[in-house]
Amino acid sequence: MYGGGNSFEAMKATALTDEDPIKLAEFEARIDRGEKIEPSDWMPQLYRKQLTRMIEQHAHSEIIGALPEGTWITRAPGFKRKLALMAKVQDEVGHAQLLYSAAETLGKPREEMITDLINGKSKYSNIFNYPAFTWADSCFISWLVDAGAIVNQIANSKGSYGPYCRALERICAEESFHLKYGHHCVIHLATGTKVQREMMQEAFNRWWTPMMHFFGPSDKISVHSEILMRWKVKMSSNDECRQQFLDMYVPKIWELGLTLPDENLRKDPETGEWQFTEPDWEEFKRVINGDGPCNKERLAVRRVAEERGAWVRQALLAPKAKYVAPLA
Amino acid sequence: MNTEALKDLLYKMADDQLILGHRNSEWTGFGPLLEEDIAFSSMAQDKVGQSWQIYKLLHELGESEPDMVAFMRNADQFHNCQLVELPNGEYDFSLIRHFLFDMAEQIRFTHLASSSYEPLALLAKKIKGEIKYHTMHAKIWMKQLGSATEESVSRLQNSLEEAMPYALGIFEPSKFEAELIKENIFCGEAVIKEEWTEQITAILKETSLKMPDINSVQPIYGGRYGQHTDNLQPLLDEMSEVFNLDPTADW
Amino acid sequence: MKLKSLDPRVTRLGISESTDQEIIEKNELDQFETYEAFIETKEGKPFEHAGSIHAPNEEMAFLFAKEQYSRRGMFCNALCVVKTENIKVSDYTDNGIDVYNLVSAIPSGIERDSFEIFHLAKRGKHHKYEGSVMAKDFEDALAKAKVDFQSEKPVFNIWIVKSEHILASDQDDRDIWDTLKEKKYRDAIDYKAGDKIKAFKEQQA
Repeated sequence: MYGGGNSFEAMKATALTDEDPIKLAEFEARIDRGEKIEPSDWMPQLYRKQLTRMIEQHAHSEIIGALPEGTWITRAPGFKRKLALMAKVQDEVGHAQLLYSAAETLGKPREEMITDLINGKSKYSNIFNYPAFTWADSCFISWLVDAGAIVNQIANSKGSYGPYCRALERICAEESFHLKYGHHCVIHLATGTKVQREMMQEAFNRWWTPMMHFFGPSDKISVHSEILMRWKVKMSSNDECRQQFLDMYVPKIWELGLTLPDENLRKDPETGEWQFTEPDWEEFKRVINGDGPCNKERLAVRRVAEERGAWVRQALLAPKAKYVAPLA
Repeated sequence: MNTEALKDLLYKMADDQLILGHRNSEWTGFGPLLEEDIAFSSMAQDKVGQSWQIYKLLHELGESEPDMVAFMRNADQFHNCQLVELPNGEYDFSLIRHFLFDMAEQIRFTHLASSSYEPLALLAKKIKGEIKYHTMHAKIWMKQLGSATEESVSRLQNSLEEAMPYALGIFEPSKFEAELIKENIFCGEAVIKEEWTEQITAILKETSLKMPDINSVQPIYGGRYGQHTDNLQPLLDEMSEVFNLDPTADW
Repeated sequence: MKLKSLDPRVTRLGISESTDQEIIEKNELDQFETYEAFIETKEGKPFEHAGSIHAPNEEMAFLFAKEQYSRRGMFCNALCVVKTENIKVSDYTDNGIDVYNLVSAIPSGIERDSFEIFHLAKRGKHHKYEGSVMAKDFEDALAKAKVDFQSEKPVFNIWIVKSEHILASDQDDRDIWDTLKEKKYRDAIDYKAGDKIKAFKEQQA
C-alpha cells in the first residue's frame, strides 16, 4: 500500500548537462519507444536517485503499513476474517520484500534501507501514522487505503523501470483480494447491527482526512517534475490519483448509507470533477515530519523487531558470504 | 463408533492447532527477517485453517458452528496442551515450540491417514503437504541455529529445556486411549510419543544441542482435561474481543 | 515506562518508551547473500524468474522462496533457486536487436559442463527458461545457445547458470503445494456481497 503523499522534492544529483549527451539521448529514445529500463542499462544520476527514493519509500510503506492492520490480527472476528487478515498483513510484508529487491537493483542494499527507516532518515506513507482504534478502522484500511494504493500502483506499474514494474504487477494482482476482502468487511458492518454501523461510521469520520492526505498536496508542475514525467518515473499527478479514487469509491461508500465528513464533497456535473474541502495540509506536514499520533510507535516496533532479530541474523551469517544485488 | 471418544480426539487436535496458529500469527510483521516473517505467517495460517476443518468435522458430529466453538468457549473448555498457549517469548522459544509440536503433528497425521474414521483420514491426507513444509522448515532452522553461534546454541538449548515438560504434555493420555485404539480411529498417544522421541533425538544429534533426558523430565499434564496456565483465558478474551461485541452479528 | 499500544501484540513486546533512541549502525555484514527464484506454474510450462530472496544459504533460500513466491499454492508446480552470483548475465539489447547477434564465438564442442539458459523476450518481463547446453564455460555456453536457441524472435538478455548450481524441488516434494482447498480466503472471488448491498438498499427504499 502506498500513497503519493511524498512529493518529489528537488534533490542534488549530477546536473543533466553533465551527463553524456549520447547516452542520455539513447536512454530517452528507449523510454519514448515504450521499452523498459533494466538494471545494468546506463541511466542519468537523477533517474537513479529519484527511483531509489521512490521505491524505497514504497517498500517502507508496506512494512510499516503492516502495523495498523496488524493491530487487529489477534482479534479478527471468526475464522474467515482471522485467516484473511493474517494473509493480508503477510502480503504487505511480502510486498515490502519485493520492493526492497527492486530498489536494490539500483545499488542500495536492503539492510541500508531498513537502517535508514529505523533511524528516521527515510519517509513512508503518512497514513500509517494514524491509529486503528477499532475493528472498523482495520476494515477501512483494508478497503480504502488499499484502494488508494492500487490507484497509485497501477499508474506506477506503467512506468519505465523494469524491476519496479515487475514488482508492481505482482503486488497489484495480490491486492485485488485485499480490496475485495476490505469491501466485504465494510459491507457487513455498514449493513449490520446498530453497534456495527456506528463503529463503521466513526471509522469513516476518523479516516477521511488522512485518506484525502494520502494522495499528497496538489503538485506544482516544475521543470523537475516534467523531466520525471518524461522519463516515466512519475506517472500521474497527485490530483489525478485523488480524483480517480473519489470517482471510483465515493459512490460505493454512499450506497452503504455511510456519510463522509465533508459537506462540500460532490461531483460537478459539468466538469465531472470532484469538489471537496481542502484537508488541513499543515497537519499533513506535521505528521510527515514525525509529529503524528503513531510515528514513534511505528518506528519503535520496527527497531525492536530488528534488534530482537539480530542474534538470528548474526547466527546465520556465513563469514565468507558475499552480498550481490538482485538481478532484476 | 464411540462418538464421545472421537470428539475428544478431534477437540484436542483442533484446539492445539487454533491456539498455536493464533500464537504464531503474533509474529506477523515482527519477524527476525522479512523472508522468515512471511514463511512463519503462512504456517500460522495453515494451523488456523486446519483447526477450522477439524471443527467442521465436529460440527458434522453435532457440535456447534466452528466460529461459536472457537470464539465462545472459556479456557476450561479447551483441550489443547499447555505448550501451545505459552506466550511467544523470543524467537528461540517460538522456533523450539514449532519444532517440537510440528514433529509430533506430522507423526500424528501420518497415522491418522489410515484412521477408520474416514473424514479424518481424508483430512490427514489433504494436509500432508502443508505439514511436510512445516517440518522441513523446523528441521532446517534447528540444523542452522543449533550449531551456529554460542548465543544461538545456548538460546535454543535453554528454550528446549524450558519447553520439554510442556512438550511431553502433548502426549497426555486421554480417557479414551483404549477405545480409540480398539476401533482403529487413532493409534494412541504412546505410539506417537515413542516415534517423536526417536525422531527429535536423531535431529538434535546433528546439532550442538543436547536432547534432555526425557525420562527424568516430569511432563506437564492437564491441558487435555481443561486445566490451563494463566495465559489461555487472556488469549481467548483477546481473540473474541470483537466477536463478543455482538455474537449474533454477521462480521 | 513500557509502550502501551492499541495492538496487544506490540504491548507484549515490552518496548521501552524512551524518546531519544540511539542511531543504529549496522555491521556491513548484516546482509545475506541473494538468490534468484524461478517458478514452474504448471507441469510442462517453462520455469520463469519470480524474484529474489535474501538467505544465508541455498536450503533456506528455497524454504523462503516457497512462501514468498508460491504461497498461493495453486499457481506453482515446482520451484528452484540459484545464488545470484552464480548467474552470468549477457549484454542487454533493445529496439528489436537480438542479443544473440552480438555473439560471434563458435561453440568449442568441448562438453565439460551442463548450463541452463534463460531468455528475456521483452524488457520489463521476466526471464524464462529456454533449455540446457553442454559447453566448456559460460562464454562457450552462450555460443552453443545461439546455435540451439536463436530464432526469428529477438531476445534482449540471457542468463546462464551451471546446472549444478540450481537447487530444485524434488519430485517427491511436489505435495508441499497441495494445500487445503480452503485457501480461498486469498482469492478475490471469495468475497461476494452483492446480495447484502441489494437487501440493504431495498430495506432503505
